[in-house]
Amino acid sequence: MSSAATVQAKNKVSTGRIALFITLGAESIFFITLLVAYAALRDEVTWNVSHTLTRLAIPLINTAILLVSVITAWSSTRAIRRNEQASLRSRLLTTLLLGLIFVIGQIYDFSNAGLQINDPSFGGVFFTLMGFHAVHVLAGVVFLALNYIRANWGDFSSTRYEAVELGNWFWYYVAGVWLVLFVVLYLI
Amino acid sequence: MTAQAQGISHKKELGSSGLLSWLMTVDHKRIGILYIISAFVFFLFGGTEALLMRLQLAQPNNTFLTPDLYNQIFTMHGTTMIFLVVMPLSAGFGNYIVPIMIGARDMAFPKLNALSYWTFLFGSVFMYSSFLFGGAPNDGWFSYAPLTEKVFSPTHGMDFWIVGILMLGFATTIGSINFIVTIIQLRAPGMTLTKMPVFVWTTFVTSFLAVFSLPSLTTAVLLLLFDRQLGAHFYNVAEGGSALLWQHLFWFFGHPEVYILILPAMGIVSTVVPVFSSKPLLGYPAVVLSSVSIGFLAFVVWAHHMFATGMPETALLFFAADTFLISAPTGVLFFSWLGTMWNSKLRFDTPMLFSLGFVALFLIGGLDGIHLAVVPVDWQLTDSYYVIGHIHYVLFGGAIFGLFSGIYYWFEKITGRSLSEAIGKWHFWFMFIGMNMVFMPMHFLGLAGMPRRIYTYGTGRGWEIWNFIETIGALIIAVSILIFVVNFFVSIFKPATNKEDPWDATTLEWTTSSPPPNYNFAEIPTVRSRRPLWDQKHPDLADWKMDT
Repeated sequence: MSSAATVQAKNKVSTGRIALFITLGAESIFFITLLVAYAALRDEVTWNVSHTLTRLAIPLINTAILLVSVITAWSSTRAIRRNEQASLRSRLLTTLLLGLIFVIGQIYDFSNAGLQINDPSFGGVFFTLMGFHAVHVLAGVVFLALNYIRANWGDFSSTRYEAVELGNWFWYYVAGVWLVLFVVLYLI
Repeated sequence: MTAQAQGISHKKELGSSGLLSWLMTVDHKRIGILYIISAFVFFLFGGTEALLMRLQLAQPNNTFLTPDLYNQIFTMHGTTMIFLVVMPLSAGFGNYIVPIMIGARDMAFPKLNALSYWTFLFGSVFMYSSFLFGGAPNDGWFSYAPLTEKVFSPTHGMDFWIVGILMLGFATTIGSINFIVTIIQLRAPGMTLTKMPVFVWTTFVTSFLAVFSLPSLTTAVLLLLFDRQLGAHFYNVAEGGSALLWQHLFWFFGHPEVYILILPAMGIVSTVVPVFSSKPLLGYPAVVLSSVSIGFLAFVVWAHHMFATGMPETALLFFAADTFLISAPTGVLFFSWLGTMWNSKLRFDTPMLFSLGFVALFLIGGLDGIHLAVVPVDWQLTDSYYVIGHIHYVLFGGAIFGLFSGIYYWFEKITGRSLSEAIGKWHFWFMFIGMNMVFMPMHFLGLAGMPRRIYTYGTGRGWEIWNFIETIGALIIAVSILIFVVNFFVSIFKPATNKEDPWDATTLEWTTSSPPPNYNFAEIPTVRSRRPLWDQKHPDLADWKMDT
């Protein structure tokens, strides 16, 4: 009955983890098709080249903020694996506050980018890509906030921390998407 | 393991049978029934729309429908049949049958399952409510931009379509994620991937197709929404947009979508044919590999819908060649079905008739699809009635016949009552004859140059006779559906028979009572072969003994 044992053993892979990874796969197709749309529009003869983003200060600060938040998120997973409840709570809180600061920075940048969504060419691309990314950051903040509340209730332990792990993976994903968007929209 | 334990506990509240218990249900069987009934109601809507179109086209220069209403009706017919009928019917069978087939007590995420159904229902109702607010969408089911831009489609119909599609896409995505996780995680002990029933495999592949193709449609309609409501210019060429962008984004979803519609029906046929041939399915590994490779190929053929847009020659060659390639795995499926039936004692019960109808009609649909993959032929036939004939042989002769096969096959399992075989055969023959009368002449009309989506036509082109025959055929299909509805009510008011295994089948859903108890299995079964019920009925001839 080795085959039966395989199926049973496989059930130890967490159900939530599989669901999250498939969801992130679908999200990736979403962002990729948006980027492909951008590439296709740049190819059009009517593409308006005059719009390029030159104000790099806020995006760079935001990149740094997200990178730091990835480290604090990762360290919150590490903390709960060792059952350090207090540091789990503080790291989750730091991560989600950094996320909020990022969103505020983005809103500031949106209003100062000198672009409108109905500008020819680049305006629509910029606000669509950045806007959907910001929505994902907010979703990540909600995920982290729920984990923070549950951490305060003492819901997690060194053997029971799946939600923390999933929330943090979502956070790494959102940060990864930002790096791609930053390179594509600001640097290329 | 824990998910299965939860599967039992969350069903405590389901003892009652009031309306509220149906609204609140998270049971996969009830959600499956809700899906199937809703989809059938929308099937009547979409069918009525088809009938109205056929009545309008029965004679040249007819004035039964206004041009604008005609546009709304063909748009809603296509959208309805694809998003509100075939997809939810497949999801309904997937919900009801897949967990029992794999020996599970429920889906992996029962609440998400309920969310998926209700989002689908509200999205559908939302889309239909557009008839009350200034007119339904009227730009065809693939809504090409820039025709769908505000300048050219000023009514709110398109906005209803966009938001409806977003809701339906969300519903399908979470439903599909649920299927994938369920199939990976909740199979009974012993049911390795190579022992999984074919219908489970096709649902698995379909779910992956949906999860990875729908985001492209989501992107397409969101950009269109921004164009229409926020003044962006994604599809507006004059302001730096691209008209072809919509077509690429749409068809990158739209072609996998065709397989999302047909693969579950192929799974049903692959389930029904062996049972009524009293043999195992011939070449199971080849069937599974073919289904999986159809899934992969589905993602690289989208631009064969766009041959007429003036693509570079390399692109034309590439998309024509890989479109031909799809006929290879599809051919493998045909050989498997025919080989299974070869030299065996066939039983011609209604489920089998519909499966045989599928095999015959889908073959025609496949072959005229190959004609359309030939670029110069496509340039001639694109946007003609030939294409309409092709898609209906595939989706009506294929998907709908396959799904009716499933309805007749699993009806007793779901309701505890059997549909009348005598009435069922009348249903089949009316539908089969009517279907060929409607859709075969469309090929002739296409070759004779009749374009799709015209609300009327003049005399003297030789189109009258075929259009008239098609309308008669459409009425015959309508009669066949009425026969089915009669059959349904006759059987529902008969006393329950509750036969556990009326067809002498081989998969796990037939080991439970009809209908199955809330928890499906008192004890999770252990599986040792692809035909667990056969093993149980014939311990001496069990498949797993033969394998070793």
